[in-house]
Amino acid sequence: MNNLLNKAGSKVLLMGNEAIARGFIEAGGGFAAAYPGTPSTEIVETLAEVAPLLGIHVEWSVNEKVALESAYGASISNVRALAAMKHVGLNVAADALASISYTGVRAGLVVISAEDPSMWSSQNEQDNRYYGMLTYTPVLDPSDPQEAKDLTKTAFELSEKLSHPILMVPTTRVSHTRSNVILDKVTPPKAKGNFAKENSRFGLVPANSRNLRDKLINKWNIIKDSFEKFEPYNRIENEEKDKIAIISSGSSYQYVKEVNEEVGNYRLIKISTPYPLPRKFILKGLEDVEKILVVEELEPIVENQLKNIVNEEGLSIKIEGKSYVGYSGEMTLERARKAVREFLGLSIEQPLTKKLDIKLPERPPSFCPGCPHRATFYSLKRAVNSLMLKPIYSGDIGCYSLGINSPYDEQDIILEMGGSIGIANGLAHVSENQVPIAIIGDSTFYHAGIPGLINAIYNKSPILVLVLDNRTTGMTGEQPDPSSGLTAVGEETKVIDIAKVAEGVGVEKIIVFDPFNIKESTNMLKEALSYVVKEKKPAVAIAKKACALNAVRIANKIHIEIPIYQVLENKCTACGICYNAFACPAIFVKEDKKAWIEPSLCTGCGVCAETCPYDAIKPVKIIDKRWDSVWQ
Amino acid sequence: MAMNSKLNIVISGVGGQGIVTLARIIGEAAVNNDVKVLIAETHGLSQRGGSVEVHVRLGNVYAPLVPKGGADILLSMELIESARNVDYLNKDGMVISSDTILRPPIPGVKLPKKEEIIKEFEKNNIKYYLIPTKELAEKIGSYQSENMILLGALYKFSQISKFINIDSIKESIKTMRNPEINIKAFELGNSL
Repeated sequence: MNNLLNKAGSKVLLMGNEAIARGFIEAGGGFAAAYPGTPSTEIVETLAEVAPLLGIHVEWSVNEKVALESAYGASISNVRALAAMKHVGLNVAADALASISYTGVRAGLVVISAEDPSMWSSQNEQDNRYYGMLTYTPVLDPSDPQEAKDLTKTAFELSEKLSHPILMVPTTRVSHTRSNVILDKVTPPKAKGNFAKENSRFGLVPANSRNLRDKLINKWNIIKDSFEKFEPYNRIENEEKDKIAIISSGSSYQYVKEVNEEVGNYRLIKISTPYPLPRKFILKGLEDVEKILVVEELEPIVENQLKNIVNEEGLSIKIEGKSYVGYSGEMTLERARKAVREFLGLSIEQPLTKKLDIKLPERPPSFCPGCPHRATFYSLKRAVNSLMLKPIYSGDIGCYSLGINSPYDEQDIILEMGGSIGIANGLAHVSENQVPIAIIGDSTFYHAGIPGLINAIYNKSPILVLVLDNRTTGMTGEQPDPSSGLTAVGEETKVIDIAKVAEGVGVEKIIVFDPFNIKESTNMLKEALSYVVKEKKPAVAIAKKACALNAVRIANKIHIEIPIYQVLENKCTACGICYNAFACPAIFVKEDKKAWIEPSLCTGCGVCAETCPYDAIKPVKIIDKRWDSVWQ
Repeated sequence: MAMNSKLNIVISGVGGQGIVTLARIIGEAAVNNDVKVLIAETHGLSQRGGSVEVHVRLGNVYAPLVPKGGADILLSMELIESARNVDYLNKDGMVISSDTILRPPIPGVKLPKKEEIIKEFEKNNIKYYLIPTKELAEKIGSYQSENMILLGALYKFSQISKFINIDSIKESIKTMRNPEINIKAFELGNSL
């Protein structure tokens, strides 16, 4: 159900990210690049579906830095370009962003950083509006899917007019909210352009940079002015009301709007340009106002600018914000209501909520049935235990982060993309008797793991780097990566062999194993670990097996029956290894403590049969000869 | 639809049960009825068998999330997840839930009994409809259609019919992969 190419004027249901993709198409964008990351993934995923039809270039880049650099390359060749990433991805791309504002752009360049307040799927909730301040990049903050679409189109026009990059920061509740969106007309895409040389502008050697820095300061005044008239994205509602006002930015506006209707419609200043905050527009909104509440998520970006403006103008207006709204987590109606009512001096009634007097089990996310990571963690623990090592599991960002949970407990540190190897490097050089094991997925390895590995070789760090190669970016929904042999638009491409990368950078001990073969995996991991301990050098172990979701999808597509496994009642001794230590969610415990496999959940990986010491788990039927091939 | 009326639905269940699809079908139907709709999904780790929550708001609404104590309907594909989310219900809110209980994959997990949960609903004066979605799906030979059976039950037992007409729901179901069986499932749920 793809509404993305419906005709102008039609009303469709679009997710915020799809709306951004549509905005790009309406702007005639010709180049889009991203690294997947929640909540940003669907922007480029959706564009990849329609790219062949539109004749535009859409790619999954290996990381956000490359995505932004690529988009910049297209823009300075006069093709409108978009780079999308999640908020922490912008840390990776920040090096490029900080200098792009010096050179400026040619065709529109829009950088989307999807923010994740409340950290639904992230390691932190940094407020990337600060990047706008840091890098002299204007920041747009849409409040709903319709505005996300319209602002994307406007952002391209503005970026081009100002020859300057624009940063847009939709949050989870815009990116992942579906709502009614009215479409505008599509501009035929321009996907080809030539780069006209202009060294004094695009070659950032110090002499040029000093010049450009001064120009940037002057240009910033023009940029600021361009947001003074920015309707309907910035607007004043209930302008006839005086004395009290509320100002809100981005999706917070939608919460405040609803609360404001409840409390009596005070003057409401809606902002979609949190940085730079347009001074004249704001001053107009502040006319006859005695006190104002700023409602925004995370950091006081609008609040501090507002305080600065009021201070410089010598106005006596009381400004409140974070002291009522708080810092952590996303906006909710409860939170907006409490802040607004407290600010207005109104009583706050807590709604009576129902609560059942019953203990409910938690339902945390877990590795899927058939996930090769489960098997790898199982073997790794056996290898470490049998060598009696003291391991430090230096983890990384991906599905395997779930290895932090019991019964695996094999992710001691998780910091950022690719961090596992660099951190292991530090651990290795100071530890006296612990063995650092860096655990990283294929997509994360290509993203930021390779420099860490080169560093480990160069600096002679005794670590084991375990790459969990499931041939996809699993966590964000199985986007292809350099291990998949497919591009974003489904074209075949070269598979970048991780073992060869390791060999190429000088790793002397490399093992590649099939994690579904527990015995062999355990032995090979023991061998690699022993090498690290004895030789005091890095080793690389690669677990190679497809993501179970992809394997099952392929099997269904080519009509291979999934072999279901069963527990032989007479052989099962109720030892619990399969359900307690291996812990596949398809294996249940019966009242007599014997195991039972739920046929609707089993994906036929057969690893439980390997873990069973009593040979009590067998396939129900003879397995299709082609079965193994879907896991390659 | 009255100008100021709104309907708040929280949909809960377990990753993989077709909750996002269920919400999207409601959303498409709302758009076809020219009714404002907001559907807020929490993605991320939830597809790995974890608890899933989707908020659906219809009518005169702006904010994407339903507040605690603010839902008219808690629609659930799984009974433990219904019990987990009753704090979303408003004073008169109702539960429309599948009677299925799915065991979370935690070693040694203790499951509540269906009767215990029902007793608690009654103790808290929560109006509830338990739908044997799995049984009914088996009856029509489509395990994948439990969500459409639940949608049928939602249409039958809640005020959603004041916002969305039945034809536009069916139109929106027709865009799914197996339209005939899913329409059948919806009608079965709507005839309970």
